[in-house]
Amino acid sequence: MAGVNKRGYASLCAALLVACLGALSARALAEDEAVLQSTVAQPYIDMRTQPGRGYPVFHVAERGDKLDLLFQRTDWIKVRTAKGIEGWVHVNDIGRTLDARGDPLAFKSPDFDSYTSRTWEFGFMVGDYDSTDTLVAYLGWHFTPNLSLELAASENYGDFSDGKMATASIVHQMFPQWRYSPFLTIGGGVRQTNPRSTLVATEDRTDNTANVGAGLRVYLTKRLLLRLQYKYYVVMTDRDDDEEVNEWTVGLSAFF
Amino acid sequence: MDSRLKRVLLATALCGLAAVSARGDDEPESWQVIDPEVKPREIEPVAMDTEDFEVGPFLGILAIQDFDADFLYGLRAAWHFSEDFFFEASYGASQGDLTSYEKLSGGAPLFEDSERDYTFYGINFGWNALPGEAFILDSRALKSDFFLIVGAGNTDFLDDNFFTVTVGAGYRLLINDWITWRLDVRDHIFDRDAFGENDTTNNFELSTGVTFFF
Repeated sequence: MAGVNKRGYASLCAALLVACLGALSARALAEDEAVLQSTVAQPYIDMRTQPGRGYPVFHVAERGDKLDLLFQRTDWIKVRTAKGIEGWVHVNDIGRTLDARGDPLAFKSPDFDSYTSRTWEFGFMVGDYDSTDTLVAYLGWHFTPNLSLELAASENYGDFSDGKMATASIVHQMFPQWRYSPFLTIGGGVRQTNPRSTLVATEDRTDNTANVGAGLRVYLTKRLLLRLQYKYYVVMTDRDDDEEVNEWTVGLSAFF
Repeated sequence: MDSRLKRVLLATALCGLAAVSARGDDEPESWQVIDPEVKPREIEPVAMDTEDFEVGPFLGILAIQDFDADFLYGLRAAWHFSEDFFFEASYGASQGDLTSYEKLSGGAPLFEDSERDYTFYGINFGWNALPGEAFILDSRALKSDFFLIVGAGNTDFLDDNFFTVTVGAGYRLLINDWITWRLDVRDHIFDRDAFGENDTTNNFELSTGVTFFF
């Protein structure tokens, strides 16, 4: 522990404190809220010991039973029966139970329909930028079924220089209802290049970039999709020639 | 007189009939006035408290290749988007001690202290490969997960940045609905050319921590 740098330690402690306080206050808030109630409409529903499809069913709630819906984790909702028995019910089962007005609750597990009507998408990709390893994180906002606005941050690690990029792009998918859905993208951003200190003694530089690209989204399951992408970048340097770079990436994304 | 009275009565009766029949004529129209369109009932989204995020600190040991095994600390945050899979971001810091060469040769150290700071961050994709239950005493059953992760990130070490691939496995035990204890083993793999030639290094992490779901 002798040489762990102090600044890093302080910032980590602060981040930790904020995160834990956030978690605790979220919980405190959750406990104050009124609990949602529903009535079982189907002949019976299974209650499991833990949130997972493999866990044993230890109790069944019958038609007409009233359930308190405590909270949801992934596809499972923790419920409490009038007799105080607590267990986990799948969200699709809860979706067929009735609320106070007698309407189905209409909860459901995320599926292909939720994928085609998604608003937000984020993901992480790895790949090759100009023959160097690259790492990309992005967030996309779908403002029509076909168009989305994406912000991406990436880093690449070369033998001679490392680079960081921030990019904003418009992404157009022609067939949003397809499971294998191709897209085209165009955008611009900035790139910071840091020559490796051990090798070359040149200064960091920041350049503007423009890019076009194409790719494919593949819906996998639940909230998960696979994304393959090619982008062609022009880095507008101060030198005589602009850099032209090919980037190939593959990654996993989730939507919500 | 008689006929005048009859005429008045007849006129009154006619008026009454006319009124009645007029009302009768109106009736179908008044039925048609009702707008047959029924507005579809809007389903209000019900607010459900979802607890899919997990965050918490960890402590452990990082064995840096060619250097010593040293104290490690950090922070992890995860989003569980299904019962099987999660995304996880992690940040950690440690420090490389003297290399074996430096210890044996007894000469001047090869690196300055500030260069020995080792920090990493990365994004991992996790799979709860073996979900299970752990039984404590006779009446308590706790949820547990054995999970595998793979990810990529950045390592800052020896004043340089390295593209790092992380693979690992871990065990998460839910003490109650929202507090967990976990144990992680990970290998941080990156190519390093600090000693002249490019070597692939394996840096093993053994860590434990507490996380909170919210």
